[in-house]
Amino acid sequence: MLFLMFRIGRDRYVLDVDAVEQVLPLMDAKVLPGVPAGVVGAINYRGAPVPLIDLGRLALGRDCAPVMSTRIILVRYPDGTGGSHRLALCAERVVETIARPPEAFVATGVEAGTPGYLGPVLADAGGLIQWVRVEALLSPELREVLFRTGEVA
Amino acid sequence: MSAPDKDNPGRAAGASVEEIAELLLDRPLPPGYREEWTRHFAQIAGDSEASHTPDGEESAVVIFRIGEEWLALPVDVFEEVAPPRTHHSLPHRREALVWGIVNVRGELLVCVSLAALLGVEAKAGERNAGLKTFARLVVVGREGARVAFPVDEVHGIHRYGRQDVVAVPATVGRSGASFTAAMIRWDKRLVAKLDGTMVLDALDRGIA
Repeated sequence: MLFLMFRIGRDRYVLDVDAVEQVLPLMDAKVLPGVPAGVVGAINYRGAPVPLIDLGRLALGRDCAPVMSTRIILVRYPDGTGGSHRLALCAERVVETIARPPEAFVATGVEAGTPGYLGPVLADAGGLIQWVRVEALLSPELREVLFRTGEVA
Repeated sequence: MSAPDKDNPGRAAGASVEEIAELLLDRPLPPGYREEWTRHFAQIAGDSEASHTPDGEESAVVIFRIGEEWLALPVDVFEEVAPPRTHHSLPHRREALVWGIVNVRGELLVCVSLAALLGVEAKAGERNAGLKTFARLVVVGREGARVAFPVDEVHGIHRYGRQDVVAVPATVGRSGASFTAAMIRWDKRLVAKLDGTMVLDALDRGIA
């Protein structure tokens, strides 16, 4: 299984590449006033607005550094009814993929206190790498805010 | 030459390749970078209908060069791009298509000449004489059946929208006309996008 690796702060995380549509360079987002924490705004991707979430802001309350290796990961976010929405995630050090069997990831042992999107971890020479589940990335309220309005319009 | 080279940060200080890569990755965004990409991705690819379907909008090919010819194959037939290796010729196989076998990470693969299959000149081009190019061994295949062929240069993955596809001209020359699925606009030239299935079929037949 292939994973896309990125960093939030000093730690490494991975996403399943099946959920990733494209990795984009950093671009300007239109600020959406009044949106919940973590959401930067919306980017114009091929004429369609895509909500942009800064993973650094979501997880640590600190924006990703504006350097070349900080990129936007365009993922397909399942809407629960078989369809999917595009979701843009801003993360640091989006420069590497790794191939690992899913069984290599083991539970952290501290699931109870951590956000739902953080999955099991994989150990390698550089430390631990944590699996981020795209489908659990948004809280139900955030999901409602980002995608429900689009369906009504 | 003791002053640090502006185009080559870290070189003068004796930094390792990893440290140089680190510097490049961590450098701040050049002015106008965000704005340029914002404009680029704001453009609607192809017709506006296509932008609503997540998958149908763009395709990806790997662009590579054999001799003077730039060619493209769909990414899904690609297994690996490896550094060039010496091939071992097989006894009693002296035809142009099958070169022999190569060892790719412990696996023996049949090494073929795509140039011979397509009928393109495999002579190294002089166009990039001033530029350093890197020959590569490309591994393609499907369902575990893999073959390797050498190319003179691999550009990388190129994504294109429907607006960049040009129909194959009726007067296309000898160079692999029957394998060409479409022409793609790339960097002010047209690249022949080969039909992956047809190429693999033809290679299978040629090897057998």
